[in-house]
Amino acid sequence: MKRFFCLLLSLLLGLLVSADPDYKELLNLQPLNPASLLASFNFWSKASLQSYEQQHFKYIPRSLGQILQHAKTRELHLRFSTGRWDDESWGARPWGGTKEGGTGVELWAWVEADSDSGSFARWVTLNNALSGLFCASLNFIDSTRTTRPRMTFEPTSSVSNTSSENMYLLHGTLPREVVCTENLTPFLKLLPCKGKAGIASLLDGHKLFDASWQSMAIDVRSVCSEDGSECSIEMEQTVDMVLDVDRSKRPRDNPIPRPIPSEHLHCDISKPYASNEACFPSDADLGQSWTIAEIFGRPIQGSCLSEDSQGQLRDSVCINVPLDREVNPYGDAVETKNEAGSGRCFAIPASKPFEMVLSHIGPQTFNDISQPPLYASRSFTGHGQERGGVQTLLTNPSRTSSIEFVYFETLPWFMKPYLHTLDARLSTSSTSSPEIIKETFYRPALDRRRGTQLELLVSVPAASTVVLTYDFDKAILRYTEYPPDANRGFDVAPAVIRLLPVEGQAEVYIRTSSLLLPLPTPDFSMPYNVIILTSTVMALAFGMIFNLLVRRFVGADEVEGWNLAALKAKARGRAMALLDRVLRKGKEKKVQ
Amino acid sequence: MALISPTILALRRDPRLLKLPPYLSALCLFIGVVWLCLLPLNEYSRHTYISENALLPGQVHTYFGGSEKNVYNAYKYEVQALVGKDQKATYEKLSDIFISAGLRPARQKYEYYAAGNTYSGENVYAILHAPRGDATEAIVLVAAWTNMDGDLNQSGVALALALARYFKRWSLWSKDIIILITGDSRAGPQAWVDAYHDEHTSPLVAPLPLKSGALQGVVVIDNALDHPFESLHIVYDGINGQLPNLDLLNTAVSIASGQLGIGISLQRMWKHNDSYQERLQTMLRGMVSQGLGHSSGPHSSFIPYHVDAITLQAVGDGGQDEMAMGRCVESIFRSLNNLLEHFHQSFFFYLLMQANRFVSIGTYLPSAMLVAVSFTIMAIALWIRSGRPPSPKAASTDFEKEKTEMEVVRKDGMTAIIPKENLTILERQLFLPVALVVAVHFFGAIPLYVFINSSRNTLPSYFVVFTVLNSLLPTVLANTIHYYTPLTPQHHLLLQSFSLLVLGMFLATLATVNFSLSLFVGLLSTPLSFTGYSFSYSVDAKEVFPSPARKYVSILVLQLLSPTVVVWAVCYMWGVDLGEMLAEAAFGWKVNGLWTQVVIWCIWWPAWMLGGVLVLV
Repeated sequence: MKRFFCLLLSLLLGLLVSADPDYKELLNLQPLNPASLLASFNFWSKASLQSYEQQHFKYIPRSLGQILQHAKTRELHLRFSTGRWDDESWGARPWGGTKEGGTGVELWAWVEADSDSGSFARWVTLNNALSGLFCASLNFIDSTRTTRPRMTFEPTSSVSNTSSENMYLLHGTLPREVVCTENLTPFLKLLPCKGKAGIASLLDGHKLFDASWQSMAIDVRSVCSEDGSECSIEMEQTVDMVLDVDRSKRPRDNPIPRPIPSEHLHCDISKPYASNEACFPSDADLGQSWTIAEIFGRPIQGSCLSEDSQGQLRDSVCINVPLDREVNPYGDAVETKNEAGSGRCFAIPASKPFEMVLSHIGPQTFNDISQPPLYASRSFTGHGQERGGVQTLLTNPSRTSSIEFVYFETLPWFMKPYLHTLDARLSTSSTSSPEIIKETFYRPALDRRRGTQLELLVSVPAASTVVLTYDFDKAILRYTEYPPDANRGFDVAPAVIRLLPVEGQAEVYIRTSSLLLPLPTPDFSMPYNVIILTSTVMALAFGMIFNLLVRRFVGADEVEGWNLAALKAKARGRAMALLDRVLRKGKEKKVQ
Repeated sequence: MALISPTILALRRDPRLLKLPPYLSALCLFIGVVWLCLLPLNEYSRHTYISENALLPGQVHTYFGGSEKNVYNAYKYEVQALVGKDQKATYEKLSDIFISAGLRPARQKYEYYAAGNTYSGENVYAILHAPRGDATEAIVLVAAWTNMDGDLNQSGVALALALARYFKRWSLWSKDIIILITGDSRAGPQAWVDAYHDEHTSPLVAPLPLKSGALQGVVVIDNALDHPFESLHIVYDGINGQLPNLDLLNTAVSIASGQLGIGISLQRMWKHNDSYQERLQTMLRGMVSQGLGHSSGPHSSFIPYHVDAITLQAVGDGGQDEMAMGRCVESIFRSLNNLLEHFHQSFFFYLLMQANRFVSIGTYLPSAMLVAVSFTIMAIALWIRSGRPPSPKAASTDFEKEKTEMEVVRKDGMTAIIPKENLTILERQLFLPVALVVAVHFFGAIPLYVFINSSRNTLPSYFVVFTVLNSLLPTVLANTIHYYTPLTPQHHLLLQSFSLLVLGMFLATLATVNFSLSLFVGLLSTPLSFTGYSFSYSVDAKEVFPSPARKYVSILVLQLLSPTVVVWAVCYMWGVDLGEMLAEAAFGWKVNGLWTQVVIWCIWWPAWMLGGVLVLV
C-alpha cells in the first residue's frame, strides 16, 4: 500500500514537472495619460478535460465547474462592466476589446443540446445557477433578452467537428444591472489564493469601483491539441480598470476633493493679471509619481503560485512605461526589462510584499496611445413619447484601408424599429449609400416574447464616417410591466461591433454605450387617477342631462334608413339638377 | 337617473330655461375672474414643498470656495480679455481652459434668419463624463456669452468654467455634466438643444460632434455684474408657456434661501413683502410671461424637449459674492445628481405668487375653463334657438288669450292632441355659416404669414396698414355677404353659434396647455357672446337684429378690443417698440417654435372678425 502511494506521488510530481503550469497570473500596468492608469489583472488556470469530467477540480473552481457540467455548457463568457472606455483619450481597448462587455452584465455561452428548445432550457438553468453564484440578476435573462447571434461571436474552443453540430450559441444582456462589491467577492473566491495573496490582493472594492471604467470577465473554454488526443479546460479571469490617478491618490480618511490651499496652487505666472487673487492654473500635474500603495490602497501581498516546478519565479507585475522613466521596486523582486518594447516586468517572491514607485518626470514619458481601429457612438434622435430614432456614428480613422465589421444590436420588444428606415450614409453626403451595408440579418421582435435582433455587415471606407440611422415606435406597456422607478426610462443594451480579422491581426470588439429609452409612462400617482375618474363621471352626467334637454326624440319607424341605392339616386338627382342649371344658364346667355 | 328624468323632460320646453344662457354665461365670466383674484389668498394657495424625495436639497456640504476663487478670478480676466475677439479666438481660449480641466471641448456653429436679421454665433461645450456612468443621463450647466439684455455674462461664464474644473475632481457624479457656453441667450441654446435631439435644420445649424445621454436638468448661470450681488432672480418660463417641474424650482429656492441665505425673487418683483397685492402682481406677471410664451432666458429653449431648466440671475448690489452663486449651483447639481428618475413627481402646471407659494392646476384651471365655457354655453343656446320656429305668442302679444293651435295625432290605435308648435320642425341651413366660419379662420393665415416673413424695417408699417384695414374689414365683409346672399335670422344665429363654439372649444383645450394665454384671449373676447343679437329663445327677425343704440355700442366695444388695437395698447403700456415686438414674435416662430401668433391670428382674430360681421350685417 505504501509503495503504491509513493508511486502515485512520484507520478503526480512527474506530471507536474512535465506539464505547463496550471495557473498563471499577471498584472499589467499602463499609464494612459497623465491622469489615468490602466490596470489589467489576468488570472489563467487550466485542467485536463479528463480530470474536469471526473470532477477533479484544482484551479478550476468546483462551484463554477459543476454548474457548467450540469448545464452542458462547453464555452462560457461572462462580463461585468461599468463606465465607458474613452477611446479618444485612452486609445485602443485592452485585449482588443475581447475581454469586455457592455455596461451591466453580458453573458454568452455555447450550450450542448439536441434541439433549439433544449438549448434554451439549459441556458435558463445556467443563468439561474450563475445568478446565485455571482449575486447578479442573471436569472432575469429571459426569452426577451436572449438572442442567438449569427455573425458576431465565434467559438474560441477547439472542439471536434462531431460535437459542434449540436452546440447552440445564446447571448443575453442586462444593461441596467449595477456591478458592485457583491459581484467582486464571488469573483475573487474563484481564484486559488482568494484575493489574499498575489496581485489579486490589490482588488479592493473601494478602489475597483472608484475606477473610471472597469470590466470583470470570466472565460471558460476547452482546448485540444492538434491531433485531438489531449483536451483541456481553460479558464481565464480578467479584471481591467482605468484609475484616475489624482482621485486614487487621495487619502482614504480624507476623500473629499476640497479646494487646495491657495499657496499650493500651481499658477501660470506669465499671465499679466497673476497675483495672490487670480491664478490661472497651469498643467503642473503632468507625469506625476505614484506608488502601488497610493493607487490601490495597499502593496501587493507577495505572489500566488508563481513558482514553477524548478523553483523559478514567474513575472507577476509588468509596467508599460518608457525605459528612461525610473521605476523603483521595493521587496526582493526580480526585474526583467523588455528591450524591444517599452515595458519591464517584476517577479515577486511568494511571501514578501511588493511595492513599486514610479518617479515623477516631465510630460514626455508616456507611450503614445494606440489608435483604435474604429470609433463608434450611438444616440437617440427626436423627442416625444410616440416615436424616435437611433443614430450611430461609425468613424474609420485609418487613412489607407477600409474596415469591415459586424454591427450587432438587440432591442427590447417595446422598441419597434422600422427596417425600411434603416439607412447608412457617409457623413459627407446626404443620400444613402447602398454599398455600406453588405449583409443584414434581422429577426423581428414578438411582443412580450422576444426582442429584435439586428446584425449588419458594414463596411466603412478609409478616413470617413458612416451614419447609420433607423426609426422606431415606442410601445405602450401594461401598467404592471413598468419597473418600480418607471420614469427613469428603459435601458437599451449596447451595440456590439466585431471587426472582422484581417490577416495577421486578431479580431477586435467594440461596444457602444447603452441608451436610456423614455417610454410613455402613466402617472402612477393618486391625484391623477382621481381627476380622471371625476372627469369621467362629470362627462357622463352632463351628457345625459344635455341629451334629455335638447335631443329631438323620433320613433324608430320614422327614421329614414341608410339606403345606398337611395343615396346614389339622390346624388345622381343632385348632379343632374346642377348640370341642368348650368345648361340652362348657358342657354339663357345665348338667348340674351 | 330614472328619478330626475321626468323633471328634466318637463324642463325641455320651459321658456325660462332658454332665457337662462346669457345670464349663465355672464355668471361664468364673473366667477372666472373672481376665482383668479382669490388665488393669492392663503386659503387657496399652498406652500411649496419638495415632492421628489431623492432630491434632498441642501443636505450636502458645499466646498466651492477657498482657492477656487483665485481660479475663478483668473478665468474672469480671461473672459474679459475676449471681448471683441472673433469666434476662433474665443473658441481657442475656452477649449484651452476645458482641456486644462481635463475635459474635451467641442463647438457648434449656428445661423438663423428671422425678420430680415441674421442671428449667428457659436456654442462651445465640454462633457464631463460621469466617472462611473454609462452616458445614459446628463445634466447641463449653461452660461450664455451675453445675457438676455445683451450684456457680457462675464461672471457667469467664468463661474461655469471654474465649476467645470472643480466638478471634475469629484467622483460622485452619476450623470454626465455638460458645460455649455452658448453664443447668445436665445438662438444659441435653441440651436444646441435642437441639434442634441437631432432636430436641427442643417446646414445652418451644425450637428453636435459630442453627445451624451438623456438630459435630466439644466441650470443657467446669468451674472453680468462685476460686483457682489444682492439676490438671485429665478427665471422659469419656457417657450409657449411651458414650465419646468416645480421640484427643480423648489430645489433652487430651498438651497439658495435655506442653505446659503441668498434672497430669491421671481418675475422681476424686487421687493416682495408677501402682501395680497404683491402676490397677485407676481402671479399676473407670471401669467403675462406665460401667455406671451416667448423665450425668457437660455433655459426656455430646453423646456419644450421635456428637459427641466431654470435660469439663476444675479441681481442687485449686495453682500453675496460669486462663490456663493457657485456653491448654490454646486448644491443644485448635487441634488440633480441624486435623481433616479426623470423629474415627474411635482407639478408641471402651476402659478407662483412668491418663491415659496403656488397654486396648482387643479385650483386655478376652473378660472380659465369657466371663461371658455361661457362661450360654449352661448353657442349651445344659439344652436337650440336656431332650430325653434318663431312662436306666434311672442309675435302677437295682443292675442294672449288666443288658444294654442292643436293637432290630433292618431297612431297605433291611439289618439293624442298635441300643440302644433311642438310638431313643426325647422330645418337648419348649415352650409353658409359653416363655410363662413371655416373661411374666416383660414384667412387668419394671411396676417400670420405676413408678420412672420416680413423684415424688421417693414414690420411696423405693415402693421399700421393692417390695423387700418382690420378696422374696416368687418364692414366690408358684412356688406359683401349682404350683397350676395342676405343672411336669414337663422344664418345669423348659426354663424354666431359656430364661431363661439370654435372659440370655446379651442380656449378650453388651450387652457390645459397654456392657461394664461387662454384666459387672456377669453377675457378679451367676452363681448363676442353678448353682441350681435338680443336675448330671446327662438328664430325671430325682430329679436335677432339689435337696436341701433345697441349696435353702435357693440361696434365701439369690438373695435376697441380688436387684436390689432390690443397689440398697440400693450406696446404703449410696456413702452416697447412695436417693430421690436413684432420682430421678436417672428424670431420666436422661426427659431423657438412659438405658437402665440397662431392663437392670435387663427383663433382670436377670426372670432373677432365674425363678431364684427354679425353686429354689422
